[in-house]
Amino acid sequence: MIGKLVKSNSHTDYICQIYGTGEVESPPKADAYAFGSFVRIPLGEDAGALIGIVYDTMLLNPEFGTLGPRLSPEPDLAVFSPDYLAEKVTLVGIKAVGMVDGAGSVTQGVPPLAAHIDAPIVALDDAGVRAFHQMPDGRVQIGYAPVLLGQAHPLARHLLMCVLDRLRMLFPEAAAHLDVVRHELTWQAYLGPLGGNARGAR
Amino acid sequence: MNANPLGITQGPGEGPHEFIFVTPDYDELAKIGEFVYYQAAVDGELRRVLGRITGRTPVRLLPNGLLADPGVPPDQVASMVGYTGAGSELFEISVNVLGYYHELLGDFVNPRLPPRLGTPIHIADSAMLTHVLSKRAIGEVGGAHIGSLLSRPKDEVPVVLDLTAITSTHLAIIASTGSGKSYLAGVLLEELMQPLNRAAVLIVDPHGEFDTLMEMEGARAFADPQDGYQPRVEVIRPENVKVRINSLSLGDLRYLLPDLSERMHYVLSKAYGLVQRKFGEKWTLAQFRLAVREADEQLSGGPKSPEEQAKSLSEGDDYGTAGAVIWRLNSRLESSSIFDDMRSMSLDELFRPGQCTVLQLNEVDQREQQVVVATLLRRLWLARMQTEKKEAVRGDETYLPYPAFVLVEEAHNFAPASADLVSSQILKQVLSEGRKFGVAVGLISQRPGKLDSDVLSQCMTQFILRIVNPIDQARVAESVESVGRDLLGELPALSRGQAIIAGAAVNTPLLCRVRQRITAHGAEDVDAPSRWRAWFDRDEAAWEDRDQALPVESDRGRNKLFKT
Repeated sequence: MIGKLVKSNSHTDYICQIYGTGEVESPPKADAYAFGSFVRIPLGEDAGALIGIVYDTMLLNPEFGTLGPRLSPEPDLAVFSPDYLAEKVTLVGIKAVGMVDGAGSVTQGVPPLAAHIDAPIVALDDAGVRAFHQMPDGRVQIGYAPVLLGQAHPLARHLLMCVLDRLRMLFPEAAAHLDVVRHELTWQAYLGPLGGNARGAR
Repeated sequence: MNANPLGITQGPGEGPHEFIFVTPDYDELAKIGEFVYYQAAVDGELRRVLGRITGRTPVRLLPNGLLADPGVPPDQVASMVGYTGAGSELFEISVNVLGYYHELLGDFVNPRLPPRLGTPIHIADSAMLTHVLSKRAIGEVGGAHIGSLLSRPKDEVPVVLDLTAITSTHLAIIASTGSGKSYLAGVLLEELMQPLNRAAVLIVDPHGEFDTLMEMEGARAFADPQDGYQPRVEVIRPENVKVRINSLSLGDLRYLLPDLSERMHYVLSKAYGLVQRKFGEKWTLAQFRLAVREADEQLSGGPKSPEEQAKSLSEGDDYGTAGAVIWRLNSRLESSSIFDDMRSMSLDELFRPGQCTVLQLNEVDQREQQVVVATLLRRLWLARMQTEKKEAVRGDETYLPYPAFVLVEEAHNFAPASADLVSSQILKQVLSEGRKFGVAVGLISQRPGKLDSDVLSQCMTQFILRIVNPIDQARVAESVESVGRDLLGELPALSRGQAIIAGAAVNTPLLCRVRQRITAHGAEDVDAPSRWRAWFDRDEAAWEDRDQALPVESDRGRNKLFKT
């Protein structure tokens, strides 16, 4: 587990608080919730899980800007104020891109179900990512790509490129197909903003 | 068949028979004019539908700012800002659909079904093109191997024309000066004279540049060892060009004689009728002069009395109408080496299978050239018509039992757009009806804008070489409907020896690289600067000095002789 669900901005946009020191036995390492990582959000007993992608990271420090009087310096708080709770947390934005139902059937795109508050967030391993992207006939599918690109998030294209790079590693047999999409995104992401004229993007 | 497709269909093009496909084109195969195909099910059968590339546009254009420094390759700049796809260019290729080749029809059939989005597009292989573009194969009777497809390596896809189509529905060779039209005509003539074809050809050569075809006579390439065939080339020099006066029509006479008044026209036509009534078809100039006098007298109400003659002289009418007409007849016909009472060029000497006759008119007045061509075509036309209708039999002057082909250089002088000449009329007749009687013409012109548009549009096979002049381009576009506008756009970009061939002799318009001539080319440009230099290198300068030198003074010299 890497954290728990603490907030949502929309049906597909969730905020996860990453477990910090002391919260769990072994807090997650930074690469477990890196930009573009796949996560799983269980929906409860036999209901399957949402599959999401980490698309943003925010560092939350409630004390930032609080310049009021202190009883003791920060390193001594644990000694002199043992009831003081550190509330500095790492939050990550997660975009739900599909779900796997209780029977293991995959749906890509906007999931019909929503996650619960405080739901645990689990990093998805390579097998899970493969299972989510491989159709019963063996084809690789990224049916959520339009949902991602349609969010108008400034990093949407880069996020999809990260996903494609990982899929290329997991599905070497589909490298040619994935490269076609990768090239187009690279053009749009790097040369489009500079004024490159992509007539094919009509 | 190529296993890997060249590109993928993107969607429809501008016209109903156009589509667009997208390709990275790593091997740079998608050239303009190149042939591609897609597969489509037509009537339950999988067909290869051929199309011709008409345009090529890059899809991804780098930002202009990345091209700011000519010394810095833009792909390196793109790579610097993180774009790693440098070199992955894409092109939108527009294609004009020709159709699938129907073996029975021997032509392309348009399925009227553009390819679906995503249909793979293949480059057409050379074997397929060789089979479907030309109507004939090399070495086949009636085939003329004129060159090879321009978009493919030299000689990979031969272009072989159908001579049956050319010799029944005529041809036109249109090009600017210096783009190789005479050269192409030479290649065509070589093919016509090959043992497989053995044509009866006459070339109207106003520049005298086709005499190099004489080389065909001894060349092994044109001989058939089986029956000993060897083409004959007859060059008729300008001094040997003869037109018998009685073969001139009234129209020819009117055209030849300058500044005729209304009365003179009338006298001339009356005399023409008279001379034919009196002397039949074999009249002479002297007899015609008599007829002119008689016609004039008939008009004036009988012979003039001496008083009347004196009166007309005093009024300044020195000769009267008859005198004026006769004076013009003499000045035109009698002083010309071409018109003769007895001699003419007999048709069976001019036209004979396996013979190429070059009629050189390079020292002949242009009006006379037009009359020569008009009379010749008229005689040929009459002979072929009478022979086909069995009105002429062996031994008759008008018996010509085989089709004939006449190639006319500088055709705009014989059928100009601006005037209706004696030669225009017969040319139009041959062009519209020649098919029935086996008379075909080939017109060569460097000014299609000056050529009669009716004449041009009736030549069903067109060879179009480079044309830069917009007026000429427009005339070609309006007269030659079989060439698509995509190919016409290529006209200014064609190099010497590259031609668009369209019409009845090929299955589809194509860009052709004209093959090398076997005989020498006779219309090379004069290299003036090197000739000027050569004048100094040789001993002409020394001769010149000698001619200009003053006499040497000596003791026995004339100067001394007169000294005191």
